[in-house]
Amino acid sequence: MSATSIGTSEFPKQGQEEVNYLNYDHTLRSWLTTGDHKRIAILYLISTTFIFFLGSLAAGMIRFELTSPAGVVLESETYNKVFSSHGVIMVFFFLVLALPATLGNFLLPLMIGARDLAFPRLNLGSWYLYMVGAALMLSGLIFGGIDTGWTFYTPYSSMYSNTQVSLVIIGIFFSGFSSITTGINFIVTTHKMRAPGMTWFRLPLFVWALYATSVIVILGTPVIAITLLLVVFERLFHLPIFSPELGGDPVLFQHLFWFYSHPAVYIMILPAFGIESELIANFARKRIFGYHFVAFSTIAIAGLGFLVWGHHMFVSSQSMYEGLVFSLISFLVAVPSAIKIFNWTATLYKGNIRLQSPMIYALGFIGLFTVGGLTGLFLGSVGTDVHLTATYFVVAHFHYVMVGGTMMAFLGGLHYWWPKMTGRMFNDGIAKWNAVLVFVGFNLTFFPQFIVGWLGMPRRYHYYYFAPEFQPYNIMSSLGASALALGFLLPAFYLTASLFNGPKAGSNPWGAHGLEWETSSPPPVTNFLETPIVTDEVYDFDPVSEYEQLRAAQDLLDEGGNPGGSY
Amino acid sequence: MAGAHAEPLAHGHDHGHDEALHHQFEDIGQQNESYLVGMWTFLVTEVMFFGALFFTYTLYRLNYQYDFWVAHEHLDWKLGAFNTTVLLFSSFTMVMAVQSAQLKKRSHVMRYLEITVACAFIFLGVKYVEYSSKFADHLYPGISFSTDPKVFGEHGFVNGVPMVNMNHAQLFYGLYFGMTGLHAVHIIVGIGVLTALWRLWKNHAKSVTVDYVPTELVGLYWHFVDLVWIFLFPLMYLMPTPH
Amino acid sequence: MANSPAAASHEHHIVPTSTYFGTLIALIVLMVITVAVAQFQIPDIGPLTGTVLNQLVALIIAGIKAFLVVTIFMGVKWQTPLTKLWAVTGFVWFTLMFIIMGDYLTRKYEPLASWRPNQETALPRTIHGGTPMPMVDPNEANLHPRE
Ligand code: HEM
Ligand SMILES: [Cu+2]
Repeated sequence: MSATSIGTSEFPKQGQEEVNYLNYDHTLRSWLTTGDHKRIAILYLISTTFIFFLGSLAAGMIRFELTSPAGVVLESETYNKVFSSHGVIMVFFFLVLALPATLGNFLLPLMIGARDLAFPRLNLGSWYLYMVGAALMLSGLIFGGIDTGWTFYTPYSSMYSNTQVSLVIIGIFFSGFSSITTGINFIVTTHKMRAPGMTWFRLPLFVWALYATSVIVILGTPVIAITLLLVVFERLFHLPIFSPELGGDPVLFQHLFWFYSHPAVYIMILPAFGIESELIANFARKRIFGYHFVAFSTIAIAGLGFLVWGHHMFVSSQSMYEGLVFSLISFLVAVPSAIKIFNWTATLYKGNIRLQSPMIYALGFIGLFTVGGLTGLFLGSVGTDVHLTATYFVVAHFHYVMVGGTMMAFLGGLHYWWPKMTGRMFNDGIAKWNAVLVFVGFNLTFFPQFIVGWLGMPRRYHYYYFAPEFQPYNIMSSLGASALALGFLLPAFYLTASLFNGPKAGSNPWGAHGLEWETSSPPPVTNFLETPIVTDEVYDFDPVSEYEQLRAAQDLLDEGGNPGGSY
Repeated sequence: MAGAHAEPLAHGHDHGHDEALHHQFEDIGQQNESYLVGMWTFLVTEVMFFGALFFTYTLYRLNYQYDFWVAHEHLDWKLGAFNTTVLLFSSFTMVMAVQSAQLKKRSHVMRYLEITVACAFIFLGVKYVEYSSKFADHLYPGISFSTDPKVFGEHGFVNGVPMVNMNHAQLFYGLYFGMTGLHAVHIIVGIGVLTALWRLWKNHAKSVTVDYVPTELVGLYWHFVDLVWIFLFPLMYLMPTPH
Repeated sequence: MANSPAAASHEHHIVPTSTYFGTLIALIVLMVITVAVAQFQIPDIGPLTGTVLNQLVALIIAGIKAFLVVTIFMGVKWQTPLTKLWAVTGFVWFTLMFIIMGDYLTRKYEPLASWRPNQETALPRTIHGGTPMPMVDPNEANLHPRE
């Protein structure tokens, strides 16, 4: 049992609905002016989910178009706009902030025993910045779209493209500043707001991950902000920064772009690593194997991640010497990632594993991320990358890490903390099958892309009539995408349904360990009724009480009950 | 962290700084350090933001040393030096405003803030003069960019031979307007922030008078703007003759 | 001057006006020196040309000025270690960007002559040592397939 001194057991008071962050005030105004990190997390959850479904719509159009070697409905120009919209929406408006701004926002103060983030108004401001950015970006996509891809390579984006590049870039600029303000908030909160006794090495690994992510955000995001701003300057004010006609260097744009955008892939994956650690520890009911290694590998990834951007430029006329160095460091950065994978699997060993829905996502994550990371090594060695760059192999690689990694962890985390956020338990049976559906649908979608990419199918084309033998793979991929779409839609329904008919969750439905489980669900406005004092270690599952729990579960099973412990 | 004992949240803290303490913090020391660290992390982002520009400048300058040198001849280092002095002086008055805030001398704070804002306006005035002369000589990049090396004076055109590639000169002016322009935007934002701070002091707002840290935060921003100029000045105005 | 971390948070340290004024004077003197150095040419010393030296001097002076502003005016000298850490982070991380120079400085060196196809020593660009590589007209390849 935990030794923290907060008394949540006398909560809720008999007969009356407890006051929590959701029901203390119901007006829309109270939501739009809130400083409460939990409400802002919900605001972010709603807006990023909306954005995610818009991005998925574009993905659906791409997959539909590619079912035939000659394309199906889209013109070349339209197709360019569709995949560009997909990339911009998913990368800049979903993946880089969805995990920190929703789950991170909600959990960081709860996990460290604080009443709120250090700067609540800044937190709200960052949501408004995000909304303004998203509105600008969407208006850009509606009034003309963009055809540059999410990478905005110059000189096409700065000199030739006749699409709404400037509007979309300014939207990205706003959402970038939204990430920066969130990052500043998280860093200061982690440094200064920890409850008494919450030392650095008692922090849950999700907090370490959020901290490292925030460091990358504040060091990297300004670089892309200025780089994209220079493209806008070039388009609108004719400042010839990257213009090759006047002696500027378009490759410099790529350097500056990837200086941020490679670290940005770690902005996307590190919070997922953090969630993964929470899930594995709590559903294997064991302290994470090598906690310190996992924590430090998080920091190592954040640092090393800044030294490998050149692996995106092996064929961009980058010096081959620098290419070799970047290749070497890319291999090095795989080491801390592998440390994590090994530690998670080692944690499972002899764990008391419970296969509830969050855990199924977590196990899926391990497999998919491993494939994504290993294929990253294929791409990171110069020789193979020359052949694989700009093929579907790259597309498959980054979807394995971004969807198979980040999205799986996000869904797992969302299920895991859903009872904490809403106070309601969802139907775990459907959720488990949904996790399996996502896993299968995902592999069906993206594994064929490895093969077809290896065979030479280029990315960003909407036809392949020159190689009709690619069609079966593409059909498989499109079928898988339909399954995946279902897998993303279903949670939206059954999670929402749980708000109305789900059973009350109780403060700790999973029998998990961590400060956030020691306050009521949903938590009160100030998170804890009194400041907690932390005296026990992180993931400190006590073997004796574990044994008793197991015994109790066995007894329940003997009586024909549900031993899951969830409800 | 604050106390080593659990404090009931509902109770106030018996502390002189109560009015300025926000609910999420335990005491004013924690709040103040949070603000300072928060401001510095923001300045880290500003360093990276301008850093990318300075890197771009370095790369192009190394590539086109001679052209950049000729192109920079149109800039007047006397105006640049004057502006540097103005900004350095405004940094001094800003830091004096912070010191007065520590000593709770309200009228001094307001006086120093007024001088700081005045310096900011002088700086912008000089920039206006400089920009106008560039526009007058068609040195703003774009299709109307001057094709005549003579605008750069004696070094642009030696013995009837043009000494400068006007494309590269255009690149220089792209960087010049981009970098000094973004810096000027920061000055303008600074004027807004300083004015807001001044108004708070004028209205005896507790949020600034009880503790000096809010004033110090504005000060940090203002010094950062000065810092950028400290590097812009020698790089733009004081290029040594290449040989 | 108390240099204790506590000075920053609670009993904040009040720096005397003379320190600030002295810093201002130092900054202005340094600026005058930069301007003066820029007015005449430093002779070459060894491999460093006067141009480089001139620029180095200007940048070093700018660095000293920046150091003064950060430590005294921005008060980092009297701040907690945590604030100091974040104060230096940006300046340190910014230097990573200069890794990009490694690309531009080494681009022109190619390890094998054959990597430069228009040189006499280069091998002809052929597939399987026989037929020359077919030239694909990019415009032709881009024709819309459905017409
Ligand atoms: C083991 C670590 C990893 C290595 C060595 C690696 C390596 C690479 C390389 C070399 C490329 C460039 C391929 C090309 O364009 O030719 C690439 C592309 C990409 N990777 Fe990774 N990667 C790793 C992990 C990740 C992670 C964790 C993510 C995201 C969460 C990610 C996201 C991406 C994306 C989005 C692209 C494509 C960018 C584009 O649009 O061109 N990678 N990766
Ligand atoms: Cu990368």
